[in-house]
Amino acid sequence: MKKLILVIFLGFLAFGVKAQVNDFKSSKTQFMIRGYGHMGYENVNTNGDRESSYDGGAFAPIFLFKHSDRLMFETELEFVINEGSLEVGFEYANIMYILNDYMTIRGGKFLLPFGTFMERLHPSWINRMPTKPLGFGHDGIAPGSGVGVELRGAFRVGTSTINYSVYNTNGPGIKTPEGVEPGEAGMLTFNNLIDNNNSRAFGGRLGILPFANNSTEFGVSFYSTDKAGNTGSIYENLGANLFAFDFSFVKQLAGLGGIVDIKSQYNKSKVDNMIYTVEETPGEFENLNFDNNSNSFYAQLSYRPTMSGSDFISKLEFVTRYSTLRTPEGAGWEANKKEYSFGLNYWISWRSLIKLNYQSITGEGGHDTIGGFDQKGLYLHWAIGL
Amino acid sequence: MKTYKIFGIATAVIGILTVFTLGSCSTEQVTAYKNKSGAQLWGENCIRCHNTPSPAAYNDTDWTTIEMHMRIRANLSKEQSEKVFDFIRSAN
Ligand code: HEC
Repeated sequence: MKKLILVIFLGFLAFGVKAQVNDFKSSKTQFMIRGYGHMGYENVNTNGDRESSYDGGAFAPIFLFKHSDRLMFETELEFVINEGSLEVGFEYANIMYILNDYMTIRGGKFLLPFGTFMERLHPSWINRMPTKPLGFGHDGIAPGSGVGVELRGAFRVGTSTINYSVYNTNGPGIKTPEGVEPGEAGMLTFNNLIDNNNSRAFGGRLGILPFANNSTEFGVSFYSTDKAGNTGSIYENLGANLFAFDFSFVKQLAGLGGIVDIKSQYNKSKVDNMIYTVEETPGEFENLNFDNNSNSFYAQLSYRPTMSGSDFISKLEFVTRYSTLRTPEGAGWEANKKEYSFGLNYWISWRSLIKLNYQSITGEGGHDTIGGFDQKGLYLHWAIGL
Repeated sequence: MKTYKIFGIATAVIGILTVFTLGSCSTEQVTAYKNKSGAQLWGENCIRCHNTPSPAAYNDTDWTTIEMHMRIRANLSKEQSEKVFDFIRSAN
């Protein structure tokens, strides 16, 4: 009898333990909210007009859903206060499936690996500067995100690592004299949520980390479409070819007592030429005939004295950036600008920093500007990765 | 046409770099590389885009989600990301 009771007792115990284990087993579905936010103060003088203001800040939540070791969904929304009103952006939303050790497929809206800035470096807690380099973002020449499918992966070759991505997305559109911004006729637009002409863009990036210490990466990217204009319009068959090179070097150098970080990217865009007939003033037309080539470049160098004995100094970071943008000579959106920026950052933690930055952009043209452009700005931003 | 030329040259340079690094590394170097610890790879890799995160920042379950996110988003090889995140989970 005693034996029987003992067996039953042990049985219950085993059941109980099993139930407890089950209770503490993590569920298969894992959900996380991540993202970033920032706020700041800006004092910017553009061609003599001074604007100073607190920058209302931005909140970019990222939602990650992991359903298994292969299947995941990610989405990012962006809430920003721009010129006094709230703007909501839909940055990306894509489903990812790991096919095997070397291949992952993604579908939906994703950040494009056209170079590295937009995909890897733009979040405010990652970007060492409070602004984007010339050529990215509003009226930029490099595509930032796309809607489509992508195959990506990475593998080791000897002591090097190769990573690749190839994608097919809704192609870009092009601004025309008939559109809302006739002055910007010939400029590509990349926010093509629906394809305007049944012609996709095809692109990709190949990156190599040649050295065994993973410090250095070189990348080449391309993005190409046969048709950029709307179906049936005279602009339909304008093709576009873009390419980019990127470089990254990050390493703690004992000789320099800290971490040296160099990032750089060159973008080039070539759109088929055509003559755009723009109505300058009512009834008066001008033919704009230009070589539709644009390019931009940036290089950023930062140094953090991580090996300094002082806790305060080891959290400082010195950063400088140079960038250029050239858009077609003779176009309504002709621009030729240069940026020099200098900054001092203070890292509160690995994902939160205060950036104090002076930025000078000089040159000609650009958005809503004819003739000389001279902008000097002082920025104080505080960013946090969530 | 110039565009294609430059692009072609860059692709060729990357190809040559690959062949060069492949040709120049001995089996011992490859073995040493393959034997790198998760801690070392964590120090070398996770700093390439942002600062190296502290293992204490998240719990194991969250790190598993981040592992998948980073492997795909940062285009890390399975070999390396597995080691790094196993190390992180053992150190938090
Ligand atoms: C190639 C660039 C790159 C590398 C290398 C990289 N990360 Fe990231 N990481 C990112 C980007 C970009 C984000 C921000 C994601 C976003 O905002 O959409 C991020 C975000 C994160 C976050 C915040 C949570 C999340 O998933 O968004 C953590 C934690 C993180 N990375 C950990 C790591 C670790 C650990 C490593 C080393 C294995 C690593 N990262 C290597 C680019 C990189």
